[in-house]
Amino acid sequence: MIIHANVFSYLIALAAALILGLALRLPLLPDKPMRQSWTISAVFPTAILAVGFYAIIYELGYQGYIVALVTGIITALFAKLVLEKVVPAPGKDEKEERSHE
Amino acid sequence: MNEILGIAIAAIISWLNFVLIDTWMGLPEAPGVKGADVIGRSVQERGGDLAGGFFQGNIVCSPDASAGTLLAAIGCYAIGIPEGGLIAAVLVYFGNRLCADPGYAGTTGALSITIIIFLTSFIGFKPEYYIVGMVLAIITIQGIYHPGASRLLGKIAQKMGRHTKLT
Repeated sequence: MIIHANVFSYLIALAAALILGLALRLPLLPDKPMRQSWTISAVFPTAILAVGFYAIIYELGYQGYIVALVTGIITALFAKLVLEKVVPAPGKDEKEERSHE
Repeated sequence: MNEILGIAIAAIISWLNFVLIDTWMGLPEAPGVKGADVIGRSVQERGGDLAGGFFQGNIVCSPDASAGTLLAAIGCYAIGIPEGGLIAAVLVYFGNRLCADPGYAGTTGALSITIIIFLTSFIGFKPEYYIVGMVLAIITIQGIYHPGASRLLGKIAQKMGRHTKLT
């Protein structure tokens, strides 16, 4: 199988998410030790989500550099503002439940 | 490429991919959730290794590199290379977070096997070889003999400096 010739689109989505993520004051990398860190950072998961979201949009039939750029921007905003609320770290959930009690 | 030979090689590659990534990401070190702890101690009681048991428990309780490898292979088969693998990585990430896991192992496993599937496609490997290969690889860990598999996983964890400090 031959890879699709849209590598630049993926790079644009990745770079846009990474740069906007840093501008939104997400840390570049998770805290150390990384494998136990729940911090949402610019590299993980923002950049990876941007590439994955662009793949979904690409398969839905929307392609091009502009689409990739918009995907990257929306992913960075999603990671900064929404992600923690949609899939919170488990400790935070328990604390909230206790505070409701 | 001969299909049987391709599946056998894909199984070995998939096995190494998920075992090494999961061990590196610390699955044998501690149980992520209570279920993994129960499985680990049950395996230990039956003569297995505790760290290997935690590894087996963790991959049952959340989608780690094993699930990432399998889903990325299915994604590449159903959708294409590399889109299917990248979409699988996103889905595995959300699955991980829902299962009280930060998601590094699953996402890394999905991305690494996507790269491997892409590179090996040039020498005639098809994504479906990796689907069957990964099923065979997971059977060796979860489906044949838990204590024996856990001892092997424990030794690998020891070599990689990821053996559990729990007793």
